[in-house]
Amino acid sequence: MKRRTHRAPGDLSPAGKILFALAVCLVVATVLFPYLWMVSGSFKRTIEIQSADYTKEGMEPTLIPRQPTLENYAKINKTVPMLDYLKNSLIISGGTMVFAILISLFAAYALSRLDFRGRKLYELTVYSTQMFPGIAFLIPYFVLFNLVTRITGIPMRDTYWGMIITYTSFALPFCILMMKGYLDTIPKSLDEQALVDGCGRAGIVFRIILPVVKPGAISVGIFAFIMAWNEMLFASVLTGGDTKTVSLGLMEYITTNQARWGGMMAACIVVSIPVLVLFTTLQKHIIEGLTKGAVKE
Amino acid sequence: MRITRANNRAAAFLIGPALTAMFVVHLIPILFGIVTAFLGIDVSNLSRFPRVPFVGLDNFANLFTDGTGVGPRFMSSIWNVLVYGLVTIPAGYVIALAVALLLNRRFPGRNIVRGLILLPYITPDAVMYNVWRFIFQSRIGVVNQLLSALGLIREPLIWLVGDNALFAVIVASVWKGWPFTSLMLLAALQTIPAELYEAAHLDGASWWQRLRWVTLPMIWPVSRTLLMLSVIWNFHAFNQFYVMLGADTTSKAAVPSVVILREAFGALHFGSGSAMAVLMLVIILALTAVAVYSRRERSAE
Repeated sequence: MKRRTHRAPGDLSPAGKILFALAVCLVVATVLFPYLWMVSGSFKRTIEIQSADYTKEGMEPTLIPRQPTLENYAKINKTVPMLDYLKNSLIISGGTMVFAILISLFAAYALSRLDFRGRKLYELTVYSTQMFPGIAFLIPYFVLFNLVTRITGIPMRDTYWGMIITYTSFALPFCILMMKGYLDTIPKSLDEQALVDGCGRAGIVFRIILPVVKPGAISVGIFAFIMAWNEMLFASVLTGGDTKTVSLGLMEYITTNQARWGGMMAACIVVSIPVLVLFTTLQKHIIEGLTKGAVKE
Repeated sequence: MRITRANNRAAAFLIGPALTAMFVVHLIPILFGIVTAFLGIDVSNLSRFPRVPFVGLDNFANLFTDGTGVGPRFMSSIWNVLVYGLVTIPAGYVIALAVALLLNRRFPGRNIVRGLILLPYITPDAVMYNVWRFIFQSRIGVVNQLLSALGLIREPLIWLVGDNALFAVIVASVWKGWPFTSLMLLAALQTIPAELYEAAHLDGASWWQRLRWVTLPMIWPVSRTLLMLSVIWNFHAFNQFYVMLGADTTSKAAVPSVVILREAFGALHFGSGSAMAVLMLVIILALTAVAVYSRRERSAE
């Protein structure tokens, strides 16, 4: 007890330091564990994975492949047309990202800066749409898609723009919430001055607001991108041969006849790359944007 | 700023796109979905819609009388998703808080660790749940290998079918979900002024007392938002179940999304699928009402 008073509140005893280091290592190990097996599996032959059996000596699954191979990567587009799915996902997620940023920026600007009739009601509606699980409107949405196509002749199912519209509006509530939190931290004097100088509202949003909300816009964009990249429920019904996304494509490696785990692990790595690259290059902005909107309230 | 006509017009222009998207994709389908639940709509007359018969409450009644057992399966799926949430949400929160407290200290390599723990959050769902599905395989998977090396099991456990399935999905979901919470909590922790801890320390407060009376109250607003969102989003759970367990509705870990998806797009009974979706909405609204009401009560005290 006496010794303790010599230390600042944050300092640890030597034993505490070791425990602390162990705890950090445990966290890192837990996070990395599945990734190690993903990478290792992607370099294994199908036969090595399939015949593995931890109960038999010499057959246990090992982290280091017994016979490393690159064939899973070389055949990435053969057994399952993964690169085509990758293209579909990039188009759909990229489109969603662009529209989500623009639309949520406009809406958040209105909520943050303008007092207008129905403002409270609108805000409430935006947030309450978050409550409804996708499955609650998947069926009617599908029926309406069919109806629109039948009446207007415009194809809706299995089109890029059908998916982009769908995902953009999924992403919007959270994007608007995040963007508004971000805009609220920017002094109003900035755009009021521009208004006095005779700049139109649209001009303000594009020329004054957009440059300063860059971190917020980036994190909103990434959120929308990841959401679209991840979504499976609507994709399983509304996409088809022309627009199937990577998330669903991955399921094709395991069929009732064959379990191509090696191919699947290689595909897993390949389809993670766009998201990881996007995220790591913009990491600083994202963390700032994500936490600024949420923590400040 | 005042409400002026110019403001109204500017706002209409600015929120127009978001409002349209919300109406087209959320509000109209939801209202329409409630109507669908009272229509006898299936694959045979989908192309004739809206000329489909009105069947009143038949869709709801049929769930429990048609002999396919879809009604009871739906009810047990609601139970499954509740159990799933009751375990996943607290477990995820506690782990997230513990790691956030850990990473709130300065130590060499902290930024690297902070970047690393974001990996599960940013790696696509389908990727990570497929990897977990791989390592939860009975003989070729590494989970059983580890457990048996630790002497915890003798025979290989079957994880993804039967009684253990829900547990396996919970493990994978907690692993995937805690980093996001942790990131938010860490940001909140860093806004707590150091003077508060120094004052508490001078008063002789123990580690536990500082956590209980300084840290937790300071991060409560963020925690409350995160927990409320988790409870609401819990019913959205689909990817982890669909990827790890497939679309098997007889699984002991089937969730409502999967059961409704199969009923509507597997059995092609759009009417009874909608009926289940409406039941689910009612349950969610009731839970939300209880949550909002209890919060009012408490803040009124």
